[in-house]
Amino acid sequence: MTSIERVNSLLNRQKLDRVPFFPFSLGFSAKNVGYPVGSVYSEPVRSFDAQLWTQQMYGHDQYPFFGSAVYGTSEFGGEVEFPIGDSIQSPRSVRYPVQSLKDIDKLRLLDPQAAGNLPKALEFSKMQESHGGLISLVVGGVFTTAGNICDIRNLCMWIAREPETVHRVVQLAADHILSAARLWVKIFGTQRLLVQIWEPTAANSIISPRTFEEFVLPYQQKLHQEILGLSVKHILCHICGEQNKNLPLWSQVPMGDPGIVSLGQQVSIADGIKYFGEKNIIAGNLDTSLIANAAANEVYEAAKKCILAGKDAPSGYILMTACETPSSTPPYNFYMLTKAINDFGFYD
Amino acid sequence: MNEREAIQGVLEKVVNLDIDGVTGQVSAALKAGADPRNVLNDGLSAGMRLVGDRFQSGEYFLTELLLAGEVMKAGLVPLEPLLVNTDIQGKGTVVLATVKGDIHDLGKNLVGMMLSAAGFEVIDLGSDVASQRIVEAVRKHQAKIVALSMLLTPMVISLRSAVEEITMAGLRDQVKIIIGGACTTPVLAKELGCDAHGEDAMAAVYLCEKFV
Repeated sequence: MTSIERVNSLLNRQKLDRVPFFPFSLGFSAKNVGYPVGSVYSEPVRSFDAQLWTQQMYGHDQYPFFGSAVYGTSEFGGEVEFPIGDSIQSPRSVRYPVQSLKDIDKLRLLDPQAAGNLPKALEFSKMQESHGGLISLVVGGVFTTAGNICDIRNLCMWIAREPETVHRVVQLAADHILSAARLWVKIFGTQRLLVQIWEPTAANSIISPRTFEEFVLPYQQKLHQEILGLSVKHILCHICGEQNKNLPLWSQVPMGDPGIVSLGQQVSIADGIKYFGEKNIIAGNLDTSLIANAAANEVYEAAKKCILAGKDAPSGYILMTACETPSSTPPYNFYMLTKAINDFGFYD
Repeated sequence: MNEREAIQGVLEKVVNLDIDGVTGQVSAALKAGADPRNVLNDGLSAGMRLVGDRFQSGEYFLTELLLAGEVMKAGLVPLEPLLVNTDIQGKGTVVLATVKGDIHDLGKNLVGMMLSAAGFEVIDLGSDVASQRIVEAVRKHQAKIVALSMLLTPMVISLRSAVEEITMAGLRDQVKIIIGGACTTPVLAKELGCDAHGEDAMAAVYLCEKFV
């Protein structure tokens, strides 16, 4: 099977030859082909080429995608800095649209065709469309986007002090994400569309399950319902980081038929299957620190363990890293992941 | 309300994250005749320690920890003018930084907040800090402890460089080095020749108290 055939079979609940492998490798791909790390987040053509060439080189299954964890900052008028040089891995917010409560009233929904990094994402999706793979829209979850609008520090403070403000910002984040999804559906249709939603900020290292239940769940649930209501078939939801206490709540959020639930290393594949596996494909949860720093044989063993834990999940499994593969990952360690897939990932 | 009850009230305001009530309660304790140092140590700081314990046990989360920091700040407003001329013996100086190449500062700031509340003088150098600046700060402030934060795995190289620069500057015997952050582990601490690894902000406080 080709990568595209393999992923399509998985999404259509058909038989496939082996477990697909999604390495979540943005900065790594840029470095792999000699481009600056920042280009993979800010230059659609270079980003697409770097990821596609790296995919061809290693034979993994993740079609190129375009996005970062600071989603929401520039989309609401703030400023993002992309990594310069190779020492910083990820884009960062350098000016939040909301810096104090008085800025809240100035927040407006921008036209998604012109908001922040979305014009570049559109350009990227046009390349995805012409190349024949999945077309992806990458956005933050409602809480992550809200945190990127007004700084997670403010958001956390306002949960106790200004809860109505937090509700307002989270709702605005949800409205924006829905407007972006509508635009992608209008331009690209739904046949090949995969909406990727990354939600690291709702992790339990930051908020309690009670806070999640009040400030995240209702908005995330409604957003997913509305996106699926546009006839989008699949949502890839990256539940990043320590989210164990949120799992019963996340399980109430529809992800599609099937959706893909991507787990951080803190959530076991067994728990992922327990909460989401009946309806959804489970993806995860290779420790990225290990991939970058451990010996090759340890990386191989870790990948083997993941594959064996997830391979027979009821709706399927994708070997995926727990978050973005560090750009400093030794190429041989990366190769170990593909070797583990080839050694243990095939179905009879 | 006697002095003791009033100080206990301050502690409760901190633990219950009552930012609106803490300033008034501190003033009430002072009015009841409490020594400002006792209000600080047995009220505000003791309250922060309990908040830290609740964070460690999973009862409180980052949101509560951040709010507790604000409660502490509000509680210090009536105290600070009275503490200026007292001879409070701090527990020592900690140089705090997120290493070069890493711009995350939320966790580091929490560590700084908890260490200050526990009575340490904290020299916070910020994030993306070059090793040489850490060395200079250790020298200048005669720090006993260096606490380094790192969230991005590629920045192990910066962490290693910081430890090496401190050693080459001849300061290694005078300071303990502790590390923390999402990508750090006890194994990494050992590999780099650090003295300890802290799992979270409270662990950092316990380690610093152990080392002074």
